[in-house]
Amino acid sequence: MALGIHLPVTPLLGIDITPGIHPQFKLFGLTFDADIIWATLIAALVVITMGLILRRKATSGVPGKFQLLWELATGAVQKQVDDTIGPRGAQVVPLALTLFVFIFTCNLFEVLSIGSPYDWLPAPTSDINLPLAMALTVIVLVHRAAIKNRGVGGYVKHYFTRPFPPKLFLVNAFMNGVEELVKPVTLTLRLFGNLFAGGLMLSLLASLVIWKLGPAPIGAVLSLPFTVVWKLFDMAIGAIQAFIFALLTILYFDTAMAPDEEHAKDGDFIDA
Amino acid sequence: MAADASLDSAIKIAGAMVGAGLALGGGAVGASIGDGLAGSQTIAGIARQPEAQGRLTTIMFLTVGLCEAAYFINLVFAALFVFSLGK
Repeated sequence: MALGIHLPVTPLLGIDITPGIHPQFKLFGLTFDADIIWATLIAALVVITMGLILRRKATSGVPGKFQLLWELATGAVQKQVDDTIGPRGAQVVPLALTLFVFIFTCNLFEVLSIGSPYDWLPAPTSDINLPLAMALTVIVLVHRAAIKNRGVGGYVKHYFTRPFPPKLFLVNAFMNGVEELVKPVTLTLRLFGNLFAGGLMLSLLASLVIWKLGPAPIGAVLSLPFTVVWKLFDMAIGAIQAFIFALLTILYFDTAMAPDEEHAKDGDFIDA
Repeated sequence: MAADASLDSAIKIAGAMVGAGLALGGGAVGASIGDGLAGSQTIAGIARQPEAQGRLTTIMFLTVGLCEAAYFINLVFAALFVFSLGK
């Protein structure tokens, strides 16, 4: 167990927390994190099952609680898309909604983990591979939408003529290039960092158990309420991060699908 | 040679700890300022226009999420320093 005391080895740490350890297997020279893969598959199964149940139960009459939940999520995403992109963005709604529901489900797995190095069902988003894959998918689709919207020539030209006048095309190209490179990185690290920090916090709280003051094991008593409170907070964080991922997807599609003249006055203010 | 190795690892651990501390501290300062600005402006907005509360709250949570994301990115780097580069 990694949560033992290793004072002689690392006196500064005291407690040896080792994040990022997964049961792994190798295939074609690549290393796969097995627990992340099965957790992802289970999350996907949950989402698909919920969708199938909804399809069976959906009525145009008085909706049940389950349908109401779905309609709430769909309505929120639909409203967001309508507010930012307008009717042009109708095709983004399914993608954004799927991302939101899937990421939210993944994030909820964090509630099941106890902060040990080997959790049977870790939040798949607390490993960098899943957020990175999702962010890259989104970015590729965004660029495809941009090319579809402006044509190849317009797509290339767009990088040199904005936000400054075309005379400063080198500055424009540099700024746009940095922006495009930063988008997938921040999209990944935001989600991954939040969930990873949640798991790290759970490990720290679990390691409180070994914190003794005199004969009373104070840490063990404090550990449980702290963990409960943190998990409640973590659920809120998971929901907000899932929403932000979906919202940023919508905003990226907005900048990609916007006609040029509208884009110039709009500006994209959320870039972090 | 053995003494050199332990000195090297000590320097490495010290550097990792200092780097992680700086990253966490600076990130916390920045995220707190950002959260505070978002919250104060939301309160000011609601005081001015109470009927806009629903919309403003959503946007505030969004902004707070974005601000804190910067901090969590820092935290990932701090964890990288402490847990893998410092060893």
